[in-house]
Amino acid sequence: MIGYICKYTPIEIFEALGEQVERIEPEVNTFNQADTLMHPNICSFAKGLLEVALEKRYEGIVLTTCCDSIRRVYDVLKEKLPDTFVYMLDVPRVTKDAGIALYERRIREMVRAYEAYSGKVFEEARLEALLRERYRGGGQAGAAAQPSEAAKGRLRVGVLGARANPNIHRILRERGVEVAFDLTCTGLGRKLLVEEENLMAGYARGLLGQFPCMRMETAANRDQAIVRYADSVDGVIYHTVQFCDNYSYEYAWLKEILHRPLLLLETDNTRQSYGQILTRIEAFLESLRASEDGRQEQIAVRRQSRRENTEMYVLGIDSGSTSTNAVIMDGNREIKAFSVVRTGAKSGESADRILGEVLGKAGLKREDISWIVSTGYGRVSIPFADENVTEISCHGRGAHYFNPRIRTILDIGGQDSKAIRLDEKGEVVDFVMNDKCAAGTGRFLEAIARTLEIDISEVGPVALQSREAIEITSMCTVFAESEVISLIANNKEKADIANGICQAIANKSYSLLKRVGLEPDFMMTGGVAKNPGVVRAVEDKLLAKLYICPEPEIVGAVGAALYALEQFERGEANGSV
Amino acid sequence: MNVAERYIQYVREKTQAEPEKSWDKILLGFRANHFRTRFFPKRSLSKGYQKLENMMMGLVADSLANGDRYIWGNIFAPCELIHSFGLNMLSIECLSCYMTGYHLEDFFIDFAQSLGIAPTLCSYHKTFIGGVESGAVAAPSYAVTTSISCDGNLNTFRYLQKKNNVPFTLLDVPYTDDEASVDYLTGQLKELAASMEQHLGRKLDMERFRESMRIENETRQELKKFAKLAQKHYYPGDIIDQLYLMMGTHLLMGTKEFLEQVRFMNEDIQTYPEFHGKRILWVHLLPFYQESLKEYFNGSRQYQILASDIVMDYDGEMDAEDPFRSVAVKLLQNVFNGSYSHKAQMIGEMVDEWRPDAVIHFCHWGCKQASGGSPLLKEAMKERGIPMLILDGDGIDKRNSHDGQIKTRLEAFLEMIEEESAQ
Repeated sequence: MIGYICKYTPIEIFEALGEQVERIEPEVNTFNQADTLMHPNICSFAKGLLEVALEKRYEGIVLTTCCDSIRRVYDVLKEKLPDTFVYMLDVPRVTKDAGIALYERRIREMVRAYEAYSGKVFEEARLEALLRERYRGGGQAGAAAQPSEAAKGRLRVGVLGARANPNIHRILRERGVEVAFDLTCTGLGRKLLVEEENLMAGYARGLLGQFPCMRMETAANRDQAIVRYADSVDGVIYHTVQFCDNYSYEYAWLKEILHRPLLLLETDNTRQSYGQILTRIEAFLESLRASEDGRQEQIAVRRQSRRENTEMYVLGIDSGSTSTNAVIMDGNREIKAFSVVRTGAKSGESADRILGEVLGKAGLKREDISWIVSTGYGRVSIPFADENVTEISCHGRGAHYFNPRIRTILDIGGQDSKAIRLDEKGEVVDFVMNDKCAAGTGRFLEAIARTLEIDISEVGPVALQSREAIEITSMCTVFAESEVISLIANNKEKADIANGICQAIANKSYSLLKRVGLEPDFMMTGGVAKNPGVVRAVEDKLLAKLYICPEPEIVGAVGAALYALEQFERGEANGSV
Repeated sequence: MNVAERYIQYVREKTQAEPEKSWDKILLGFRANHFRTRFFPKRSLSKGYQKLENMMMGLVADSLANGDRYIWGNIFAPCELIHSFGLNMLSIECLSCYMTGYHLEDFFIDFAQSLGIAPTLCSYHKTFIGGVESGAVAAPSYAVTTSISCDGNLNTFRYLQKKNNVPFTLLDVPYTDDEASVDYLTGQLKELAASMEQHLGRKLDMERFRESMRIENETRQELKKFAKLAQKHYYPGDIIDQLYLMMGTHLLMGTKEFLEQVRFMNEDIQTYPEFHGKRILWVHLLPFYQESLKEYFNGSRQYQILASDIVMDYDGEMDAEDPFRSVAVKLLQNVFNGSYSHKAQMIGEMVDEWRPDAVIHFCHWGCKQASGGSPLLKEAMKERGIPMLILDGDGIDKRNSHDGQIKTRLEAFLEMIEEESAQ
């Protein structure tokens, strides 16, 4: 079995030699080997590839000079797998005649190297027959531009950017979304035509003539094709890989010229990232559906106003990484009771605990609750929820409930922070999340509080007493912690250090907010909104006041309760609940 | 706070408030600094490094002041060819470094990131993009980049072409250095010359191009002599001087001025006393602002940076009869092109020639091609019996570099090499 990664790889050559080929799609648990043999800051696809290549014994691994990280994977594999056919094929970036001639030559060199390695003999006639057979109908399915009959009424989404993680397709498929096109290097079909006069040159031309990836000189024209394709879809998912920077340029450019909702989705080729991918995609789909659903919602709202004074209750539950929050709401959109408990090791158990607690506070029984919506990272692990909605949509809904003037939300929770932009109806129009590292989150504050030997609830009040400005420059939790230790060693005041930390969080939050646009009014939610030091620092950066509701932790749960109410109302109208 | 510091702060604040109105203020500061380095050079530096600093300040100030007389390049773009059009070249990496003179790097980096540019991208590229996109940095009328040494080049230049209409040529440098690659790249260099003639309405001065090859050969010999002399003599400089030397070998290579500069340094260094400390070969970029590195290396009689691969990245002979082909070969055989074993071998040759006591490899944030091979280089150096330290940090963005951690690693390493030699 020959493993390969890149769409420019001449795999048909190996097939003509009677070999099986497999595109390597790494999904790993750790980067243990890659972090020591290369460096932690290498593209996570490349790191995952190294882990797989070292573990799974391929007879050959054919890489291309597609990027800096892959060049280094080759260097390590060449050293670590001396008996394997590890080959680096240089793909020209220029696709004019000089590039094609050079590529043909490089392919021929690769054939000779493989013949010498395997003892097999390559025959052009076999390649020709294979190409004719496979691409007779004009090639495998690539991007579909027009909606199919069966897909009418379904959401249509396009996928762009760096090679798409198979999970993206799986999630979209399971949610009934039609992928109208996938222009990533793993999403495109091949169309290689046979040039009778000059088979190998034609083959090289065909390979280089594929839709260009960002390393190619001709990628300058990608945007025109993308804009055309994007006309036919409801939204576009732009995928990037952590520590692969090449596609972020195109994202930054498309953001300006593409008039379609655009989700930036970063993945890292680990199994653990599935939950994060899921949250982002679901929130995006919810926001795409929201505009369609607007009309029906109005009907539901009208119906609700007619049904005032009814004895009906719903429950929203937000299962976050640090706390689990629940809200019971009545048919008049009044909060009847709420509860906040610390999330334990099992989110399901915390959920049971909080259900009992909030029902007790409201003086209600389980059967009094008509509909339950869960949200948050643990939303799928709440056994008694009737449905789940992402925390992004719920925060939007909740924020709008507390203050309809809010357009931009900063939510800092235990393990992530996000910025959400709303329209005047409270619908989410854009959001960005930072969940790859703990910097600027509740966990970050906890770590620093521990180092300062004060309780987390004191960090804010202490910071307000600061007299000397200290700049904490490190972005990373671990670095910042050791920076704080050196400041303590230099006899700096706790108040000043705490204030420096609040400023660091504010700086990070500000850049997050900037990415969704800085439209007032602003609101801050999540546990960190209870920290007056951070609030002051963010307000200073924004030059604007932050609206903070009395219980900033329950905004997500309130949003979930509102979803439950609307769902119930609508269901009742349709006679299905 | 002195006048210079006050001006730096003033420009910084003005640029952050109104980036598109601050270019003249930025230029004025560069010109003032050119004047300062000439008439009031830093006393702690040797004469040669004083002159070098002034020369580079002059290159930047003069080029930027005459927008139609210079073009953007990356550090590997062929300056010899560009000079032969009567133009200067400034690399985007160097321009980013000069922006740190106003402490504007974090503003520009955040600006680029807020547009959607990846936070994990090289900070030199982010600073530059932020500088241009915020409207602070004015663009010239042409740009040239090579595909080495990193992926950022093509993407950054293409992005700026789209957003700011700066036409550019990509030189695709193949991975291997065989004849076919030389032909391919030579062809592209000739196309570049034709494209510049067309875009800029200037003629290529072939004789000047040939002459620059001859000067370049002499300069390279002088530079090798300098490394040999730096082995023997104490020659006080700052770590940033390695970056100035890199500017010299990449932006001024083939010019008489730079040849004279290196000749002057070779004369000057011989007037300094013998050096008895440890000699370091530095691999990859230097975080010139890092306090603990400055503390240990600037003007130090104990530790001296002998040479760096970013300065001496090619060791061949240029052929004045065929300058296009020579430039192609120079790019193909560059230490930053091809496999890492090629790099390890070239650094091994530097070690054999200049006999440093140790090697320090700096892993610059976002630089995959350098960081990714650092463990392999460490292995290769171990085989030669040369201790090597890997430092993680950022060449520009202080927020990605933790001085405390760098200090601890550096001190432990220096203690280790001192101990080894005492045995």
